[in-house]
Amino acid sequence: MRELPQKEANLFKQILKCYENKQYKKGFKGAEQILKKFPEHGETLALKGLFLNHLDKKEEAYEFVKKGLRHDLRSHVCWHVFGLLYRSDKNYEEALKCYSQALKIDKENLQILRDYSLLQVQTRNYEGFAETRHILLELRPQNRQFWIGLAIAYHMMGKPDLGIKVLTTYEETLKDIPTKPDYEHSEMLLYHNSMLEETGDIQAALDHLDTIEKHVCDQKALQEKRAKYFLALGRQEDAEKAYRAMVARNPDNFAYIDGLRSSMGLGHDNLSTDEEAKLLDLFKELQKEYPRSNAAKRLPLRFATGDAFVKVADEYMRNNLRKGVPSLFVNMKTLYTNKEKAQAVEKLALSYLTALDKTKGFDNSGSAVEPPTALLWTLYFVAQHYDFKRQSNEALSHINRAIEHTPTLVELYMTKGRILKHAGDYVQAMDVLNEARELDLQDRFINSKCSKYMLRADKMAEAEKTVVMFARADIADPLNDLVDMQAMWFILETGESHLRQNQLGRALKRFHQVEKLFADFTEDQFDFHMYCLRKMTLRAYISLLKLEDQLRSHQYFVRAAQNAVQCYITLFDKPDGADSEEMEGMTEGEKKKFRNKQRKAELKAQKEAEEKKAQAVQEITKKGGKVDEDPEGLKYSKTEDPLGEALKFLKPLQELAADRVETHLMGFELYIRKNKLLLALKSLLKSNKIDANNATLHEQLVRFALAVQKAGSSLKPAVKSVIDKHWDTLFQGKATKDLKAFTAGFLETSKTLGSVPHLISAAIAVSLIEPGTEKSKAEAEAIIFSIAEEKYTDTRSLENVLVAQKTLKSLRSSRVQEFRIKAALWFPKATVFQS
Amino acid sequence: MNIREATLDDMIPMQNCNLHNLPENYQMKYYFYHSLTWPQLSYVAEDEKGRIIGYVLAKLEEDPAAEPHGHITSLSVMRTYRRLGVAEKLMTQSQNAMRDVFNCKFVSLHVRKSNRAALQLYRDTLKFTVQDIEKKYYADGTGYLELWELECVQDVKNKEDEMQ
Repeated sequence: MRELPQKEANLFKQILKCYENKQYKKGFKGAEQILKKFPEHGETLALKGLFLNHLDKKEEAYEFVKKGLRHDLRSHVCWHVFGLLYRSDKNYEEALKCYSQALKIDKENLQILRDYSLLQVQTRNYEGFAETRHILLELRPQNRQFWIGLAIAYHMMGKPDLGIKVLTTYEETLKDIPTKPDYEHSEMLLYHNSMLEETGDIQAALDHLDTIEKHVCDQKALQEKRAKYFLALGRQEDAEKAYRAMVARNPDNFAYIDGLRSSMGLGHDNLSTDEEAKLLDLFKELQKEYPRSNAAKRLPLRFATGDAFVKVADEYMRNNLRKGVPSLFVNMKTLYTNKEKAQAVEKLALSYLTALDKTKGFDNSGSAVEPPTALLWTLYFVAQHYDFKRQSNEALSHINRAIEHTPTLVELYMTKGRILKHAGDYVQAMDVLNEARELDLQDRFINSKCSKYMLRADKMAEAEKTVVMFARADIADPLNDLVDMQAMWFILETGESHLRQNQLGRALKRFHQVEKLFADFTEDQFDFHMYCLRKMTLRAYISLLKLEDQLRSHQYFVRAAQNAVQCYITLFDKPDGADSEEMEGMTEGEKKKFRNKQRKAELKAQKEAEEKKAQAVQEITKKGGKVDEDPEGLKYSKTEDPLGEALKFLKPLQELAADRVETHLMGFELYIRKNKLLLALKSLLKSNKIDANNATLHEQLVRFALAVQKAGSSLKPAVKSVIDKHWDTLFQGKATKDLKAFTAGFLETSKTLGSVPHLISAAIAVSLIEPGTEKSKAEAEAIIFSIAEEKYTDTRSLENVLVAQKTLKSLRSSRVQEFRIKAALWFPKATVFQS
Repeated sequence: MNIREATLDDMIPMQNCNLHNLPENYQMKYYFYHSLTWPQLSYVAEDEKGRIIGYVLAKLEEDPAAEPHGHITSLSVMRTYRRLGVAEKLMTQSQNAMRDVFNCKFVSLHVRKSNRAALQLYRDTLKFTVQDIEKKYYADGTGYLELWELECVQDVKNKEDEMQ
């Protein structure tokens, strides 16, 4: 510290201690005391700012830290403090700059070096991380953490060989290796081994296992690796022995059984008849040895074919129905991708039902009488089977029979609700789930499911009332507690319900909450950089780093991002919310009337909401909770730049969900609206590469071609040449630029495929090519109405028919009513098609 | 049904499972903390599609005064996947890891006295015995809890035999 007399210098040391010990108030007072005499002492000013930051005075904090720095630009303390301030605000870029300044002044400051390295790994600057870790190790070669830190840095740079060198050198310096296994040492050795494996030198990794074996605590991990290495090295017999030992450890582990199969030469997909028989024998043997293993019983169904499948399926289904295993159908359903197996399962289930009704046995042999619940579970199974095939009436009649048989079983109502949901009657589905919930008020699972069904029916108030029933009594704002507890399912379902109801601000608020949770998960890793080095759980730490890099590829994030983009596109297209969906196809007079009605309803709702809010605010503040200042999400719905906001959601998807065609279809929608033709082109090319036959892609191609036409000579030559270069790829060689012929060809494809989504895309394309003419409108309508043809039966799902109806509306077709009546015949229970 | 050691990637679906099923919930960082401190102790159950339908989240009780022992932070199986012995299988694997890796002698857990379903599982199926009664563990003060403790099973093989 700089130029302070003895007394103040001592005080300064004390306040530094206060910071380390988190005594912020005391430290603050000390700083004030020094500043009374030396108001321009830079380091004290900076520290005062840091204390203020911890006392929740952010603005003043920056003010004082900056002032301190101005008075003492050559002080590493001031720069370090500035870095800490930025770090606490998660502004890592700026924090890194500050640390780097501090290190220019004091090159060997351990504390700063360590903090610097944490930010480098958090921001994935592995080169810099390795450099800093190298300096730390040179300064303190006796410190274990510094050795490990450097090894990790090399590993993450993709240089496991260097990481191994570091670890080996460190291991050689160890004088007294613990005689009995020590957890931390053991974790380090296993980490060392995993790096060896990564170099691809499996023999070396295997040999290494032998040398570390007696020091390892996690023997399961060691044996697992050994089995894996044997297999990779083609040592089949050793591998078999090793995997048999693993199966004995955990006979319900698929990976162990897979390893065993492979070691016996039965690991590949296309098994010959002989091999199939051998494999089934292996499973029989395992079933005998491990009678409680579910895996050994279930796996044969995956591999058996033909008559052998019928035999194993028969036995498996009978046992599960006898026992009353509720998940049997969900479990069998995964086999249905194989049509032959699906038919066999159906045949078996139906035969059980007939036999149970007649003789109370699973077959008519009369040899065994099953417990009365066997009929119940078989009915339950058959109902789910018909529901899977979307035969709602058959499904309902079977589930109703089951409910008559046992009216108190929660699972039956859950299935009935699901059947109704699939049939399109969301309100009745929700009512049935509520009955189920009332049968078991103690069970949160059924409460969660019921709440979800309420949200699917867009009954927000009921859902909120239900879902908070499991909140703790002392929580001020139980709904918000679900957000604090990171209940992603609830946030997403709520957001999607708002989106369906065109409440875009509220919907966006939810989707941004999901985004925030993912940002928090990223942030969560920060403390573990230090922690894992101390605990030596290095293998787990490496998987944390890898997970964090992939985090936003998680289904929850993708769902939130896709929905958010959808919202922002709608906001861009209809900034004042005019012409909502219901208004499509109305005359101007009708629209005016409708708007007036809507406005009145809005005012009423607003008033109610305000009253409710006032009440809620009272309630929440009474309990000490925080009041939501923007329940409507106006912050989002009133944004100046909806497309820019949407791009922020799209970007992580382009990076991490680049293999999904939806990502690029969305990209096109944004770029075409921003008139960025090259980026739109890029999206089209990616979509084309993933799924050249995608239905929506066709419509987008036509829109793109029209946009290029419209731009005409205003296109820059460079842009035009790029577009020309890729034209053939996109338009399948038909560089004629005759969009009509292109769409006609596509329509033929959709007929061959029997695909409703393709049909819809073709209809949209037709209407776009000649916009506004009665002829093209009639043609588009005709295309959509051909959905009634026999060949479209398989894809004429509720969702697709709904999209078809929406498309008709957006064409301002006069045939919407006619279509609705048809749809109501296909989906008699679907409320959306009822008048 | 696949039973395997939990990895970091399982933490989001584990949290989801927990939030659907149980009233005691935790933030992600707490799950990370478990997996990054005792990566061997937590297990998950997956269905045929690889969805997590049950889990046990476990830790080491680091009380220097007591014998080394494990602690079950949370255990839950989706209602629709009952009657397959999933909870028991998860517990067996976690307990074996406690014993083999950390030399644990027994395992403890907390259960609300009013939670009949959980009581049935721990006392009747998994043979836990009551060790102690702790009142007011929960902040809301509705109901109190009991602390149950169980001698850690020593040998997997024996345990398998017992079950048969």
